[in-house]
Amino acid sequence: MEGFLADHKSHLGLVSLEVPLISNLPVWSNIALIRQYHENMPWEEAKTLALDLLRRFGVAATAEKRNPSLTAEERFCIMLIRAAMVRDAVVVLDRPFRIFPDLPDGRFFMDSLRKVDDLIAEAHFFDYNWEKERYGATDDAEN
Amino acid sequence: MITTIENIGKAFLSKILPLRGTLQFATRVFLNIFDRRTYNSASRMVFIHQFYFTSVQILPLFLFVAVIFGSLINGMAFQVVKNLGLSDYLGRLLMGFVVTELSPFVTVLLIALRSSSAINAEIAVMKVSRELNTLESFRIDLIHYLFIPRILNGMLSMVLLTSLFALVVLSIGLLVSSLVFGTSVDAYIDTLLHSADVLDIVILLIKCAAFGFFITLIPIRLGLNASQELTSIPVAVLNGMVKVFLAIVTIEALSSILRFI
Repeated sequence: MEGFLADHKSHLGLVSLEVPLISNLPVWSNIALIRQYHENMPWEEAKTLALDLLRRFGVAATAEKRNPSLTAEERFCIMLIRAAMVRDAVVVLDRPFRIFPDLPDGRFFMDSLRKVDDLIAEAHFFDYNWEKERYGATDDAEN
Repeated sequence: MITTIENIGKAFLSKILPLRGTLQFATRVFLNIFDRRTYNSASRMVFIHQFYFTSVQILPLFLFVAVIFGSLINGMAFQVVKNLGLSDYLGRLLMGFVVTELSPFVTVLLIALRSSSAINAEIAVMKVSRELNTLESFRIDLIHYLFIPRILNGMLSMVLLTSLFALVVLSIGLLVSSLVFGTSVDAYIDTLLHSADVLDIVILLIKCAAFGFFITLIPIRLGLNASQELTSIPVAVLNGMVKVFLAIVTIEALSSILRFI
């Protein structure tokens, strides 16, 4: 995984517990920060974009909240939106069940990725081998 | 004998090496101040927030301290000047001591106690909770985004708050002067202007900027020394605040040497 991350560093949008949300920034600012820093986007414009994306996920009410007060689902959605803010993002979901452990399978992740389909170039999952059934993958090539 | 010399050498190196690291870090940060990429929308927002926390939120406490100090210092100074018959030196006393020495010293102590400790803890917490990894993962330069806005704010806040402190103390001086000596506003301002030395003012501004630079840079650097354990946060803050105090004393001493040579 390290090699993959290094190869795609310039467009990498990582969703992982290893890269948490910045706790002294509100949710909208965590998202807007990426465009503000890399593209010098004015904060009002970046905030509007962040709020639009939060609305897509139905979590607009979290805009002014901080990381510790978010639910696991909200935290995952916000991390995904933040990753999608990278221009032509190569989104890497690193062990997403660690972020949202109560899910029975990976359909929620797929549905979430579809919501930001227009913003990202690629999406990749990295997870433990024993989690593959939760993603619906099997060793049988025909399935 | 050789062992003693070796031990002295080791003790000396253990003090000097971190200082060299801090100076190298200071040089890197200082050079980045002139990098155009530093001044993006995100960094500007951090600067505005930091300026609000450092210079605006502190105002009620700061003005209260300035009025108390101003009353005490002016009361004592005018009493001494009157008793000794040194009223000709009043302007020199106010400009040479109150404005150039007392104002920056009280200001730097207040900012260090409030903002330096906060910055130190904030950076240490960000290190422990891996939030610095987050910024690096998204290719956000820590110096551009986190450090320079805080340092520039420290420098600007020091200059502005020192000026405000001096203004409050001199205003109280005017009040006391008119009560004790019956001095008019014009005469008081004239006395101050004649006592003002351009070189002193230049040294004062440089000193304020140096105070602001180091009382924010040192907490940042020491905050980065925190490990991945929560228990390293108080240690990082403690070390940072001790070094901030040493930096204040060093800058104060250097500025005095500059003024009086």
